[in-house]
Amino acid sequence: MRRTYLGEFEEIVLLTVAVLGEGAYGVSITNELDEQSGRSVSLSAVHAALHRLEEKGMLSSYLGDATAERGGRRKRLFSVTALGSQTLHEIRSVRERLWSSIPPNSLPSIAFEL
Amino acid sequence: MSAKLPQPPKWADWLLEFFCAPHLLEEIQGDLYERFQRQVQLFGLRSARQQYVWAVLSFLKPFALKRKPNPYPNTSLFHPAMLQNQFKIAWRNLWNHKATAAINLLGLTLGISACLVLGVVIHFELSFDRFHPDQERIYRVVGQAKFGKEGAFNPIGFVPRAVPAALREELVDLEVVATFHNMESAVVVPRAGQDAKTFPSRNMDKDPAQIVLAEQEYFDIFSYEWLAGDPSSALSEPYRVVLTEPKARLYFGEGDLKSFLGRELVYRDSIRATLSGIIKPWAQHTDLGFTDFISAASIRASFLKQEINLDEWTDIWSASQVFVKRSKASDEAKLNAQLKSFSQRHFGPKAGTGDFVVNLQLQPISDLHFNRAYMDNYSRKAHLPTLYGLTGVALFILIIAAINFINLSTAQATRRSREVGMRKVLGSSRGSLIGQFMSETLILTSLSMVLALLVANPILHSLRSFIPAGVHFTLFNPTVMLYLLGITLLTVFLAGFYPAVILSAYRPALVLKGATALAGSSRSYLRKGLIVFQFTVSLIFIIGTLMVGRQLNYMRNKDLGFSADQVIMINTKHDDKSSVLAEKVRQIAGVKQVAMQWSAPLSEWYSLTNLKYKREEEKEVEVSGKMGDANFIPLYQLKLVAGRNYRPSDTLTELVINQSLVKSMGFKKDAEALGQLLNLNGRDYPVVGVVADFHENSLQAPIRPTFIAYIPSMSKNLGVKLNTAGQTMGEGKVVLDKIQKAWLAVYPDDKFEYTFLDDAIANLYRGEQKISTLVNTAAAIAILISCLGLLGLATFTAEQRTKEIGVRKVLGASISSIVLLLSRDFVQLVFLAIVIASPLAWWATQLWLKNFAYRVNLEWWVFALAGVMALGIALLTVSFQSLKAAIRNPVESLKSE
Repeated sequence: MRRTYLGEFEEIVLLTVAVLGEGAYGVSITNELDEQSGRSVSLSAVHAALHRLEEKGMLSSYLGDATAERGGRRKRLFSVTALGSQTLHEIRSVRERLWSSIPPNSLPSIAFEL
Repeated sequence: MSAKLPQPPKWADWLLEFFCAPHLLEEIQGDLYERFQRQVQLFGLRSARQQYVWAVLSFLKPFALKRKPNPYPNTSLFHPAMLQNQFKIAWRNLWNHKATAAINLLGLTLGISACLVLGVVIHFELSFDRFHPDQERIYRVVGQAKFGKEGAFNPIGFVPRAVPAALREELVDLEVVATFHNMESAVVVPRAGQDAKTFPSRNMDKDPAQIVLAEQEYFDIFSYEWLAGDPSSALSEPYRVVLTEPKARLYFGEGDLKSFLGRELVYRDSIRATLSGIIKPWAQHTDLGFTDFISAASIRASFLKQEINLDEWTDIWSASQVFVKRSKASDEAKLNAQLKSFSQRHFGPKAGTGDFVVNLQLQPISDLHFNRAYMDNYSRKAHLPTLYGLTGVALFILIIAAINFINLSTAQATRRSREVGMRKVLGSSRGSLIGQFMSETLILTSLSMVLALLVANPILHSLRSFIPAGVHFTLFNPTVMLYLLGITLLTVFLAGFYPAVILSAYRPALVLKGATALAGSSRSYLRKGLIVFQFTVSLIFIIGTLMVGRQLNYMRNKDLGFSADQVIMINTKHDDKSSVLAEKVRQIAGVKQVAMQWSAPLSEWYSLTNLKYKREEEKEVEVSGKMGDANFIPLYQLKLVAGRNYRPSDTLTELVINQSLVKSMGFKKDAEALGQLLNLNGRDYPVVGVVADFHENSLQAPIRPTFIAYIPSMSKNLGVKLNTAGQTMGEGKVVLDKIQKAWLAVYPDDKFEYTFLDDAIANLYRGEQKISTLVNTAAAIAILISCLGLLGLATFTAEQRTKEIGVRKVLGASISSIVLLLSRDFVQLVFLAIVIASPLAWWATQLWLKNFAYRVNLEWWVFALAGVMALGIALLTVSFQSLKAAIRNPVESLKSE
């Protein structure tokens, strides 16, 4: 069976949910993405991606606690499903296979600044 | 956490709540808030609020907009089973509350009938002459005319007879110019081998104008279906006539229409016209409903050329009409400008018309039926103010009926609270409940509509004195159907919407626990407000009725300044034989006096002229002239306050004037005017007497300066005073028969017609009489519906308080105290209505009374009387129910719990 296609942004969001573990919801995912990738991500884009991933069955969700700063509204907490996990693993193995088959010195060398 | 957190912009929140799918709203809004709080700390409140708005807007995406489908099956409100159920419940409800249903039904029927009848009338009036091809290019040429140097411009619906030919010549933008001249005549149909058949001329009071002398071009402007003859040349020669099909049938009977062509008709005894065409009359409403079109070329060819001078620039005749059709390229404004310069070229001292000036204008044909300024001899003008008045009355009646419905349904809301609770528990939404209640209203309204349809034609028949002839009600017509649908929906909405909203607002948990009363105070205010409104409208109508009645009474009984008692007026043929007739009538026993005159002192017609007189300097006044011989003043018992009556003579030698003229000449005492010379048409005549002012027109008009004189050429009609005091009708009839005999001896070919002067005077107030009847009817209906509503509410209140009344009676309350208890509320409301209605009614009647130069005063007791009447009616209605509740045996009301 062909695996479900994942967009680049979706993949990153899915990974971030996995990174955050228990506390993955709209705002925390957005903040994490901001910090990790350094690019500015809008809340609505994240929500749209989460929505799509849930529809594809890679995420599951439940309503969590309400807090005062949320105006007493509950947050929707996400976790990666088995399908999500499998998809992530497949992508990773494809990438690693590809990396490993790159001949040495065929990529121009770059200097890393850490 | 106690400190209040900063808040994002309200409107952005509102926007989000509006567009965001409900199942996503909580998490999205929560996230937005959380982020907002963080940004307030990072960037400050202002920037955070801005970012919040952007963030909200960025959620305008399909995923957030898309609603989640309802997982449960939803029975549509319009599902057959639901409809059936609704009808069943509605029917049961109506059936169980027959009294309320009947009151509502009656009220709504009255309101809808009023709207229906009125709609028919308005539709009828608006449909006149709206069907001609190229409608928007057809105009009548009208104008503003001025006689004499001093005079004012007056609107006229006709133009000098020489104008059309010049228009045709000079204005290229007029595609067609067509004239016609109205004519009255008997028609003689010669028949081969038999006596000729004569058709008398029309009855001027009843029948529309029939005969016109029309140009061929008339048929280029107005298109007809031709059943016989050649449309392009039927009227191009003298002595040709075109008839409508019914007219041709009337003259010639059955047979092939084409075979009638070439037959002869005789008009005005000597115009022998050949039938050259037969047309089908228009099926739509029109003011141009002529039936006999004689070729206008006949005018120059016959004796008519003396009567109708086609080269005349200096006078105007209402019988001569000009219609034009402009070319497609031109427009109305441009043509009016051209007509203006045309008028300047042809009128005025330089153009040879002296002081007589006409400024020509175009009148669109659609205006013909409504504009009273431009009079003519054939169109019946619709009276717009009356139509507006009628609209107002009908709408008010419908609103009052709707108010009854609202009041009664909200009052009974508690009865249905359990039903509403149950329905809600079982999953009914508020929308479907509203639908259910509205459909009940719809059923009731539809029933009313059916009843209204049944009574529409009888009502139209009974109101025929108000309604122009020709108004019919036919159901099967798309416009009518649409209108009916409109009224029904409007009524359903007016009456049903508010109760439906109120009824569907019950909270199931509360009502099922037993709390039936809602937060009711606001609703009872509304109910009271509506009652006040109803009674205010009723009171205004009552006061209107009283005031119109008083004014009418005043006008009928006011001393007119002359005696109209037992005077008959006879119009003669304006020839010399009229004095022979006068002499013959004078011989008849039972005739007291006979005067040769133009008209009675008071009549619908009057003649105005200018008088000049010299004191220090020459002055000119506009005066009204009354022409009559020396018998005129004694016959009408005009009061001479100075001087004497003029002496019998064969020519104009002396004048009698009225006190207003004395005043406008600048004299203080009546006697001072005696012997003064007044210049009339270039000659001086001495004033020999002064009469007290008398009314020469309806009391709407002020009394003008007037002179009375004997001008023989204008005094050819007869005023006859009968001496029938103390005699029976039969004897009076004998005298009239004798007068008729005298008439036939002088005019053997003409019909004897006469009018009693007091009837003619009463006739002047036809319009006011109609208004009076209208206001009376409106008042009666408004009061009836209001009382029905009050009755319903009183019944309901008495029922609600049955237990209370029982307990009160057991504890010793008297019947009167209970009646008082139950009636007091309503009486207070009526009082309030009196306070509101009085100034409104005062204002409205004041406005109406301004039409009359002589009028009654607005007296306070009229308002008091109206108040007492309204109060009395309300009390009577309410106390009937209150009394019934009060005399009930308390054992009955208390034993069952």
